[in-house]
Amino acid sequence: MKLKKYLASIGTVAVSMALSSNIAFAACATDGLPASMDGPDGYPERALTMIVPYGPAGGSGQVAQAMAQAVSDHTGISINRDHKPGGSGTVGMTAFMATPADGYTVLEHIDDASSAHALDSSRPNPATDLIPLVTSQITFSQIYIRAKEDRFTDWPSFVEWVKAQGGKATIANVSKEGSMERVMMKFITDATGMEIQQISFDKGAPRYGALAGGQVDALFEQPGDVRKFLDAGTFKPILTMLKEAPAAFADVPSLTDAGLDFDPLFRFRGFYVHKDAPADRVEWLQWAFQKAYCEDSYQKYNESKFMTLIESFRDTAGSQELITNTISQYRDVYKQMGLEVK
Amino acid sequence: METFNNFLGGAVTLFSDPLGIVIFFGGVIGGMLFGAIPGVSMLTLAAILLPFTAHLSPEHGIMLFSVIYCTGVYGGAITAILFNIPGSPENAPTAFDGYPMTKNGQAGKAVGAAVMCSAIGGTVSAVIMMIATAPIANWAISAFGPPEIFALVFFGLAVASSVGAKTFWKGWLSILIGLLIAVIGLDPVGGIPRWDFNMPYLLAGIHFIPTILGFFAVTEIFVQAENRAKGSYQAPKLSVDFPSFAELIAHKFAVLRSIVIGFFCGILPGIGATLASFMGYNEAVRWSKDKSEFGKGKLEGVISSETANNAATGAAMIPLLALGLPGGALTAMMVGVFQMHDMEPGPLVFLNSADLVWVVFAAMFFANISILFVGYLETKTIINLLRIPFQFLAPMILCLATVGAYAVRGLTIDVIVMFVAGAIGFFLRRSGYSVAGIVLGLILGRIGEQTFAQAMQMLHFEWSGFAGRPIAAALLVAGFLTLLGSIYGAFFKKQV
Repeated sequence: MKLKKYLASIGTVAVSMALSSNIAFAACATDGLPASMDGPDGYPERALTMIVPYGPAGGSGQVAQAMAQAVSDHTGISINRDHKPGGSGTVGMTAFMATPADGYTVLEHIDDASSAHALDSSRPNPATDLIPLVTSQITFSQIYIRAKEDRFTDWPSFVEWVKAQGGKATIANVSKEGSMERVMMKFITDATGMEIQQISFDKGAPRYGALAGGQVDALFEQPGDVRKFLDAGTFKPILTMLKEAPAAFADVPSLTDAGLDFDPLFRFRGFYVHKDAPADRVEWLQWAFQKAYCEDSYQKYNESKFMTLIESFRDTAGSQELITNTISQYRDVYKQMGLEVK
Repeated sequence: METFNNFLGGAVTLFSDPLGIVIFFGGVIGGMLFGAIPGVSMLTLAAILLPFTAHLSPEHGIMLFSVIYCTGVYGGAITAILFNIPGSPENAPTAFDGYPMTKNGQAGKAVGAAVMCSAIGGTVSAVIMMIATAPIANWAISAFGPPEIFALVFFGLAVASSVGAKTFWKGWLSILIGLLIAVIGLDPVGGIPRWDFNMPYLLAGIHFIPTILGFFAVTEIFVQAENRAKGSYQAPKLSVDFPSFAELIAHKFAVLRSIVIGFFCGILPGIGATLASFMGYNEAVRWSKDKSEFGKGKLEGVISSETANNAATGAAMIPLLALGLPGGALTAMMVGVFQMHDMEPGPLVFLNSADLVWVVFAAMFFANISILFVGYLETKTIINLLRIPFQFLAPMILCLATVGAYAVRGLTIDVIVMFVAGAIGFFLRRSGYSVAGIVLGLILGRIGEQTFAQAMQMLHFEWSGFAGRPIAAALLVAGFLTLLGSIYGAFFKKQV
């Protein structure tokens, strides 16, 4: 139980998303953990399996690969990634729940698991039906326009232009029922009084191509996913969905700057194990995954994805709190939206 | 001239580096092998290799993936032709006529055509890629949005209605069955579950690879087993004769047409080689004077499909390199290789890493050329597998197909789907329905439904909006005319 003491000592790492504002994360959040830890009774004596409910090329596939590599580098234990895409993460979650709770299988999942549970409580609750090992990526969303756009150039002129179109303006996002994107767009349209047609693209490339090619007027996305377009000067952010703008986007209005009064939702990715897995193995996995977060290779990966602009790390308790709050927030919104919450 | 000099520079860099040569030929052979094994595609190889590319230079890493892409798309043609098992979905149309050619004793000719046309399609595509990457990429994403892609799919389905079926009506019913299967799972835009029967695995839909394996490989084994039981089984006649030069020249328009189609499909983000091969095949059928010959072993079917899918490879690199938009899963993994080296594909790559770009261009060019030589050797050896007696070959194929179906997502339901599709295909084939049509409906149905929903959102749910987009309107009109022509033929020429 030594680990619990260490975890308690570092505390729950800043739960509030107010951490977003201009904080430099010089020290890694798990520096207080022991550098090495023996597994209980020789565990793990073989490679671990990581179920990834999305394909290898997307954001989940990439973070799974980076984390698996970091865990292997730190512990010497191999992790085989098993991609089971489909059903917005449902297939992977179902496959994971059917595996033995022996600590040899872990799951990567995103906030979709939380929103799915919020909509239908028969779906697993990641905070209580699973044990979060670590949340390793938390990011915010932005609205982008083409850099060469001349019909509008910033958030105020964009809102004015959209209102003048009488509902004909378009924005590309992933607007599946109950998705974070759709909920956030509801917040925005309610707060501004503008009406905008959401075009749902489930894959990144066609979504970004739609904005670059002028098929849509704007794009809803997270900055790490469009970093290359930002670096190349193709896309321009006009709204950051945080209460306060991070330093990297100091010139882009935040929700507060834009006069939008709502609590933003976040995209987060993390790693889980069965709640019935042996406690001593869970403890070792918590140590391995949280230490891996601080590996140089993983930190470099997170940095390349703009995942260090706000605190991305949550330990088990922090993850549970994040998930529970998120579920509660989604439930309230779903009810307001008239969706059937089971 | 500058392009040629850049190309020469890239080629010299590639072949003056011993490690580069090893990686190049490793990619050529690895792509062909993994492309040929059903389920275990070039994507599997790429996923395995991805972490190791961190230890290679950026030039070697990107070059390896681009070479695997070129040869992997070709690799699946061999098993499609010899055993009716398309190694990858983009080789499925190759089996429509390739396998009947094997049964007719023309396996060598079919494989030879696949080798030569893959090389031609890929090489021409690579050359166009070198000449005009940036302007083509910008044109493609501006001119082709969801309405245009939906119209293209509709046109493709209208053209394909007659492929492999005994009558017009059976052809359309086959396609409609495919479209119906395509709607199983979450709807691609709103995420609403459909036809899932409360089974979580069905939320992901019916994957087309197990379906293809079932309809083609398993059905074929059932049919041959029945023939064997009846005593009417005839082993395929072995032949290693390549198509003559005159035969290829006779199909020059088919090759040219498929290059254009393949290239065009390849540059559209998210579309790629699978749609290219189906569209290439469909157009071959549409332009043919005797459509009834397709599906029975027509060389033009193999030529059209294999030219088009390899023509898509060079084209798919265009949006990736010029805009950072991957056209498919493998090019998306290439983004990962770039990122491992702190680089991002996109306009800046041409400015910051011109050397890398030209090494990749040169590697793709020579990878397509090498298909000719390595493919020729491969053909002369692999074709002898046909000598294995059916009672040994059939279980081997079934095992391979089962592994292939399971390997797609690691789900048992995919194996069940494969065997169910095999049984259904067995009965459908007897009654004159087209399993090719079902597969086409399934693959194009997914793309078509998604782009239709997106198009309607973009056009504010007004059908007349299509009229304001000339390319979409032209494709829809062409599709309707094709459909009306088919109905006219069915009613007035008694092709019912």
